[in-house]
Amino acid sequence: MNGIIIGQFIPGDGFFYKVDPRSKIAGIFFLMIAVFLLKDIYQVLGALLLTFGLLIIGKISFIKVLKGLKPIFILLIFTFVFQILINRQGNILVDTNLNISLINIGLVIILFVIWRFLAKFKKFNFLLFLGFLFGSIFIFIYSSFSFDYNLTSFNLQIYEKGIEMSIFVVIRLLIIITLSTILTLTTKPTDLTQGLESLLSPLKKIGFNSEDFALIISISLRYIPTIFDEANKIMQAQASRGADFSEGKLKEKLKQVISLLIPMFIIAFMRSEELADAMESRNFVPGKARTRIHELNYSYRDVLVTAFTVVFFAVALLFRLNVLGY
Amino acid sequence: MGIRFNEVSHKYSSFSDGNLSAIYQVSLKIKAKDEFIALVGHTGSGKTTLAKHMNALIFPTEGNVEIFNKIITKKRNRDIKYNEIRKKVGLVFQFPEYQLFEETVLKDIMFGPLNFHISKEEARNLAINALKLVGLDESYSNRNPYNLSGGEKKRVSIAGILAMDPDILVLDEPTSGLDPAGKRVLMELFKDIHKRTNKTIIIITHDMDLVYEYFSRAVVMNEGELVYDGSPESLFKEHDLSKNHLDYPNTIKVLTHLNKTLKLNLNVYQKTAIDALKEIEKAGIL
Ligand SMILES: Nc1ncnc2c1ncn2[C@@H]1O[C@H](COP(=O)(O)OP(=O)(O)O)[C@@H](O)[C@H]1O
Ligand SMILES: [Mg+2]
Repeated sequence: MNGIIIGQFIPGDGFFYKVDPRSKIAGIFFLMIAVFLLKDIYQVLGALLLTFGLLIIGKISFIKVLKGLKPIFILLIFTFVFQILINRQGNILVDTNLNISLINIGLVIILFVIWRFLAKFKKFNFLLFLGFLFGSIFIFIYSSFSFDYNLTSFNLQIYEKGIEMSIFVVIRLLIIITLSTILTLTTKPTDLTQGLESLLSPLKKIGFNSEDFALIISISLRYIPTIFDEANKIMQAQASRGADFSEGKLKEKLKQVISLLIPMFIIAFMRSEELADAMESRNFVPGKARTRIHELNYSYRDVLVTAFTVVFFAVALLFRLNVLGY
Repeated sequence: MGIRFNEVSHKYSSFSDGNLSAIYQVSLKIKAKDEFIALVGHTGSGKTTLAKHMNALIFPTEGNVEIFNKIITKKRNRDIKYNEIRKKVGLVFQFPEYQLFEETVLKDIMFGPLNFHISKEEARNLAINALKLVGLDESYSNRNPYNLSGGEKKRVSIAGILAMDPDILVLDEPTSGLDPAGKRVLMELFKDIHKRTNKTIIIITHDMDLVYEYFSRAVVMNEGELVYDGSPESLFKEHDLSKNHLDYPNTIKVLTHLNKTLKLNLNVYQKTAIDALKEIEKAGIL
């Protein structure tokens, strides 16, 4: 719980570190829209290659991007499977029956246990997972015993278009994640909020105060580690009184969670009141114009980023409108 | 043997450069009964870190701590019930805000005993006793702990630990933030609990006046190392405290000053203000 890093910012000195956060945010925003304008698998493949090109230019290691993918891994798999099963266009590629029977279910459960057991020892268990997945499909397709009791059978049909679409959707997600990782990896949270504030400042005309918004975000970011620290202290104080967060019945657990939450809230309120007082005593007046220690500055890099974005967006739009085509 | 530190070091994991230890190779023995120990040292010298080892809230990164014959090392040991250690060694944290959470004082004090599976009725009795022990009468039992004064909150948090009836009591800066009179009242209370129950009590404090007046043993921490373990008398007589960023008790400071400015020959080692006054009267300068 100690030394938590907020956001994914990792100090470095690649190309994108020196790009102004405003052009980065705007660029990424329009690139994402552009990716959604693309229509077929060749176009998104091209876009994917370009995105990887950006990684190389920015000297960002591919491993870090993969780590960013981890939390949405399940979503990716789900999307993939869903697309394959739903889409029924084009030539049919696979057409078999899955026999869901007692023995088959038993076999799959055994396979599952073996998978979980092996996963304990192996760090990189994605291959094991694939093994489990294909193993169970194999069982459902091919194993059938005469004395087995068949519960139901499921007709599995996979179409050409289904595979194409699922790859298309997954690549599109991959691009989006990579783009946003480039942004968060190379931009300090403070720069990110300052950039956002600057970009949103025209909204003042319709009553949205971007300065307040940026202030709220930066204060929240600043206080996340503090809150973790406090939570740790509260946990230790209650552990001193015998609260054992790992064991106990549900009812006791509930009580122990409450014993953490209430001091947490009280301390958060105390802290925020102190902060408000401290800011006021240093003459902070909401809404007044302020100067900054670090001014944002555009450079030739921003021109490059903006040019790239404009070209990419334009090409995507032309594809969409069938002006460009093959 | 109550608690025994064997060359214990602790590094917090967030220390970015590897060589900063919050405490470094500390060895220390604390008896299970009859001790009344002051743990002193400047801010950041590692007192709180040391105290958290005493009930196994944190583990040493090097060395080991023996607590009532259970040996605590770097690794969590499945055979050790850490909760039992926390029942035997009660640790009161510096800020009561970190632990008060129930809507009434009595319920809050009962939280500890209930965690150790004591029946509700018995826990209630323990809580009422503990409340009395810290000098709050029964009118407090139904009050909201958050509406109490700083000193009262502190007492309630101490009662929360006392109700668990620990063998050893460790208090992290219980007198900080209180007025001088309040400090003395609280110290008298600890002394009283110590006399009545013979429990070992370890108190972290900055206040050298209290150390000199109340304690029989002082343990001094400096920059994470244990630099002195002995009587307060010899600490103030024979050791240069400025090295350890500590101050002398006011009695010694005032009498030394008088000796210097008025060229007197007073015995500066007086524990209380009253004794110091008597010494001055003896010299016949009033
Ligand atoms: N949770 C923590 N994470 C990182 N460093 C800590 C933590 N708690 C204390 N420290 C550091 O350890 C050292 C000793 O702290 P502490 O034991 O609290 O000292 P004391 O109680 O004597 O003031 C200090 O330098 C402090 O900054
Ligand atoms: Mg401390």
